[in-house]
Amino acid sequence: MSYFADSLSAATDLILSFDQALYEVVFNSISISLIAALIAGIVAIPAGIVMALNQFHGKQLIQHTLNTLMAMPTVLIGLLLYGLLSRLGPFGHLELLYTPTAIIMAEAILIFPIMMNLAIAAVTAADPRLVPTLRSLGAKSTTLTIQVAKQTRFIMLAAVITGFGRAIGEVGAAMMVGGNIEGYTRTMTTAIALETSKGEFEVGLALGLLLLLIAFLVNFILSCLQREKV
Amino acid sequence: MTNAYQLDNIKVFYQQKCSLDLPHLTIANHQCIALLGDNGAGKSTLLNLLAFLNKPNQGQIQLAGQTIKSELSPQQRRSIGYVNQQPFLLSGSVASNIDLALKLQGIPASERPQRTANALARVNLSHLAKQTATTLSGGELKRAAIARAIAHDPDILLLDEPFSHLDQNHIHQLETIIEQLAAQKDKTIIFSTHDRLQGAALADTTLNLIKGQITKSPLLNVFHGQLDQHLFDTGNITIHTTSQHQASHIAIDPHEIIISNEVLSSSMRNHFTGRLTAIAEEAGTIHLTIDCGERFYAIISPDALADLNLTIGKSIYLSFKSTAVSVF
Repeated sequence: MSYFADSLSAATDLILSFDQALYEVVFNSISISLIAALIAGIVAIPAGIVMALNQFHGKQLIQHTLNTLMAMPTVLIGLLLYGLLSRLGPFGHLELLYTPTAIIMAEAILIFPIMMNLAIAAVTAADPRLVPTLRSLGAKSTTLTIQVAKQTRFIMLAAVITGFGRAIGEVGAAMMVGGNIEGYTRTMTTAIALETSKGEFEVGLALGLLLLLIAFLVNFILSCLQREKV
Repeated sequence: MTNAYQLDNIKVFYQQKCSLDLPHLTIANHQCIALLGDNGAGKSTLLNLLAFLNKPNQGQIQLAGQTIKSELSPQQRRSIGYVNQQPFLLSGSVASNIDLALKLQGIPASERPQRTANALARVNLSHLAKQTATTLSGGELKRAAIARAIAHDPDILLLDEPFSHLDQNHIHQLETIIEQLAAQKDKTIIFSTHDRLQGAALADTTLNLIKGQITKSPLLNVFHGQLDQHLFDTGNITIHTTSQHQASHIAIDPHEIIISNEVLSSSMRNHFTGRLTAIAEEAGTIHLTIDCGERFYAIISPDALADLNLTIGKSIYLSFKSTAVSVF
């Protein structure tokens, strides 16, 4: 008990002393996950709206694929991306392996199906009069997608935040394609795994507490958005 | 002059059941038309087709002489204003809703504020321009939706049950708005309503819908049953018709029903005795309700009422020709 209490006390000290190395990892993690969430959101949200608004052959297949991808183990995404980005892989010449870009790619792929499914759900759950009203007012394809996104903006923002929350807690793919390089590709989750294996439990705990704080803030923002939704 | 609409061989199926069946229907330009019918008669289905929000399973629709095969062109879309039975206003103010509608219709930004103000003035909502749309009352919401639909000055205005769920004050306000729009004679206005008298009072023409079919008969004295060898059995009474076709509905024009104090000797095939249950005056005519096992409505003149000395509860005779029975 003393070991845990001492570690917790040391972790709190580290957080409150604004340890530079610690916050560098936090900043790195937040920026990588934020970029991944924004990139995935820019594609997934319009794609989700378009899919929800239209009936076409293969829609069910896409829906099943999205559901399957949502359950795909992150380590498998890491493995596939590793194969594609490694020197012997088809995109090896881009030299992206063990870079923040590789982690962003992995996290964006991971959260894309989640965000697209949330966008589909947002349109499906919106007022059934929304789309006919917009159509009767003259909205077509692109303008319809934009207006539906505007009218469901709080839910769409919630989808991006959910994606961010999922990305920042990801460890398997980040470790495989990022390489956990200090000051470069080290994220909070990969650092926790490393520091704990090194016996630096208090550093891992400090990062864990900060991760928990971020998760709390994400959920707080989500619940605020829930109250504002259309 | 081209028609506003021409519909040919239209069929709409809902859950494998034919909810609208219109072999041919033309709607003239600059008319005010009331769509009359009960719930499920197909009024909203028809209005959605006319607004090109839904497509028929069969048949074709011409808009201003042009057959519409897929999507409306922006110009064609601009020619139609549509107000849903339960209008949906987008988030933001009333004015921003109208501004967005104008933007989507391709109206330049410089013209939008004036058009918004004009539209709101026409429905007496100028004072609520900046109010959040979601805080409007039912009547205000409908007027705001009408303002949004007329702001870009469409040639056709479609209103689905504009008077439903409103109090008398708001109904009167909406009737005045429709009357004013119709009086300009520059728009084709089509509105649906349950209220036959309201429809007849406001519109130049009425279209009666029963079970997805247009019928020439007013929606009075409509009976459901089975037709067999010219005889239509409602379950309570049997009515002579001239039709041999399969049908499950008949209607009798209330003007065609003869009321008398004694049985008439005539060529008329249908004679019933009934009890007079209601007498009402509407638009200068007398409306009688007679219970003969089925409830009949008859329309007579005030003079006839005086001559027949009719009182509530009195036993009277009603007669009509078999040719007065519309079968569908």
